[in-house]
Amino acid sequence: MLDDLFALLVFPGGLFVVVCGLVYMWLNRKLIARLQNRIGPRWFQPAADTMKLLGNEEIMPAGVDPVLFHLFPLLAAAGALTAALYVPLGGVNPAFSFEGDLIVTITLLGLLTLMTGLAGSLSADRFALVGANRTLTQLFSYEVPFLLALLGPALAAGSWQLQEILASHGGRWLLIMQPIGFVVAILGLLGKLELHPFDAPEANTEIVAGALTEYSGRGLALFYLSRGIELVIGLTLVSALYLGGIGSPLAFLAKTLGLLLGITLIEALMTRLRIDQTVSLWWRLMSVAVLVQLLIVVIVGRI
Amino acid sequence: MEPILTWARVNSIWAVHFNSGSCNGCDIEILSTLTPYYDVERLGIELRGSPRHADVLVVTGAVTRQARDRLLRIHAQMPDPAFVMAVGTCAIGGGVFQGCYNVVGSVSDLLPVDMAVPGCPPRPAAIIAGFAALMERIRKGEPA
Ligand code: SF4
Repeated sequence: MLDDLFALLVFPGGLFVVVCGLVYMWLNRKLIARLQNRIGPRWFQPAADTMKLLGNEEIMPAGVDPVLFHLFPLLAAAGALTAALYVPLGGVNPAFSFEGDLIVTITLLGLLTLMTGLAGSLSADRFALVGANRTLTQLFSYEVPFLLALLGPALAAGSWQLQEILASHGGRWLLIMQPIGFVVAILGLLGKLELHPFDAPEANTEIVAGALTEYSGRGLALFYLSRGIELVIGLTLVSALYLGGIGSPLAFLAKTLGLLLGITLIEALMTRLRIDQTVSLWWRLMSVAVLVQLLIVVIVGRI
Repeated sequence: MEPILTWARVNSIWAVHFNSGSCNGCDIEILSTLTPYYDVERLGIELRGSPRHADVLVVTGAVTRQARDRLLRIHAQMPDPAFVMAVGTCAIGGGVFQGCYNVVGSVSDLLPVDMAVPGCPPRPAAIIAGFAALMERIRKGEPA
């Protein structure tokens, strides 16, 4: 009982993953800044942003459903925090594990995007509506290839349970054996986090702030925090499946930070794709590529 | 709680930029302030698109009849505490547009201005100094 509470509130869920999310968000912003020849934000910047947002007034626009308006950010944060319990965060075994937890984790991660889209379509604001439309369109384009990319390792291991998949691969780097799946997983992560080049949903130079235009104060802070948590969990998941598992806190740090550097480089190099370009990239190229990868895995068998 | 909140407010300033009738000189200077050369993100300042996310309303130019209602509406859309920063001589006192047939007045005639940055147009360094002075005022708890 006490163990469960600890896992839920302190480690690996709750406090640990929130702090981790803030730190990783800072690292991401700092790296981008350095790559753009800037100095970049100070180490406490995401924490200060979140605290300030939590202290600000929360305005509810006229005409929205008050229950849903407050429920969506809560559900987004809850989904992200729950997903933290099923991945090997910090290099220790997941707090909970059962047959099929990989699928549950991916679904929970998708909750944030879904909630962002629904939150945007709640208000009558035209920018929020366009943003919501783009968020949901993007969700439907990357989600399936991303899921299939993470299923490659599962198929090779013959199990849907993260623990068993990692045990069966025993520290082998699947990146070498399933390179296409790895690339799709990385790009899927970028799409999930709405980073460049897949940031058309929140394109703040064209549609103000996308789906979250009408959110202020606490609701915005919750979405902001969930984004950070999702960054950490996504990095953990991809590096556990493709970069030879995460056996120790040191391996966790080294592999997730390496991966973070990788996606930040892509983010700094790319410009924003239009939403139709995003969709055609995912459905014409990525989904075919990942299906080829799955076919190879099935034919070759347990590699 | 209050000291932590003040600390967070001082260190994280999200601004929304509104042109209420400026000649565009001040706006160009604000854009230069946001370039990598000055890099205001290192001070926690970020430009936001939505007034709902912003803490500081940066207004440039004398307020015209056309812009008056929009300025008031955008200010009303900001969550509390919302600060107002007037950039440029026109925003402060009307400047060269003072007394024009289409000008209602300066920003301070319509909204409580928390920080004024004089200059025609003010240089980016002056705008950053204005932000720093605003942070100092927030730290002391001066603006309501
Ligand atoms: S202060 Fe000068 S630069 Fe700024 S809006 Fe007025 S005339 Fe233009």
